[in-house]
Amino acid sequence: MVKTDRNTLENDLKKIIAEIVEIEPEKITLDANFVEDLGMDSMMALEILASIEKKYKLRIPEENLTKITSLNKVMELVDKFLSK
Amino acid sequence: MLLKDKVAIVTGGTRGIGRAIVFDLIQNGAKVLFTYLKSDESAGIMLDEIKEVNGEAEAIKADVRLYDEARKTVEEAINKFGKIDILVNNAGIIKDKALMMMEPSEWVDVINTNLTGYFNMAKACIVTMMKQKSGVIVNISSIAGVVGMPRQINYSSAKAGELGLTKSLAKEVASYGIRVNAVAPGFIDTDMTKNLKQKDDLIKMIPFGRFGKPEEIAKVVTFLASENSRYITGQVLKVDGGLAI
Repeated sequence: MVKTDRNTLENDLKKIIAEIVEIEPEKITLDANFVEDLGMDSMMALEILASIEKKYKLRIPEENLTKITSLNKVMELVDKFLSK
Repeated sequence: MLLKDKVAIVTGGTRGIGRAIVFDLIQNGAKVLFTYLKSDESAGIMLDEIKEVNGEAEAIKADVRLYDEARKTVEEAINKFGKIDILVNNAGIIKDKALMMMEPSEWVDVINTNLTGYFNMAKACIVTMMKQKSGVIVNISSIAGVVGMPRQINYSSAKAGELGLTKSLAKEVASYGIRVNAVAPGFIDTDMTKNLKQKDDLIKMIPFGRFGKPEEIAKVVTFLASENSRYITGQVLKVDGGLAI
């Protein structure tokens, strides 16, 4: 498991999401809704999940796919599974 | 060995067409997890038979009408074999009656097992397959879903629904390297058809002049599960001795 502080976590996640959704990382604020504000489609949620699993060597059950809606929520998710 | 080292799940694997599919996949080198609903005994006997031919298989008692049990089945396959390459949706029931005699519960039972069961298993597998960027789903439908059959409006509706599921999902996941096809058997010699009335009249409708054998469906499933059909998706392959030409 990779240990990481909040700022690094936030920036790393922004980078992952920006690459998949193909937007500037600055547009990904903590509360911006991925679908409504950033134009993410549902298939991209899976790619974000898979990328996070790979980077942090985690296994996040697919039931959590619907929680991939904003950076805040993604951080909560990663926190939860990093601490397990 | 068309399916060497592939991992397959087959629902309703202990009887009829499902049983033949399990054996054909095994003979082609796949590792198979099959589900059954009732008989621990026949599942155990089958596992012994598979061992005798040096095949690798696992059986799980699961009710595909329930999403949680479908999920459990998929988790079991991943824990045991590490991945899922092939899903064969096969578990099905009939409750044949004329519409005027059919109870609403007989409609719901058949739709739940045959159609919702296929949805549950496909949903339970799809994220794993999408992450793998590969996978094959074969849905065993029926000629009843293609042309309609009297006294089977529940079954025909479910079987036609499976074809909609097949075509929609094929489009949805093609870009992930996943193929989804359906096989529509005609009249096949199984427990499901052994009590059919007027069998002689039915045989007259079949250009080949006989019912099919479960193995003749299984061969087609293996083809659709293998690389030999790698450019085929969203199709309904009728295997019916010419019945629905």
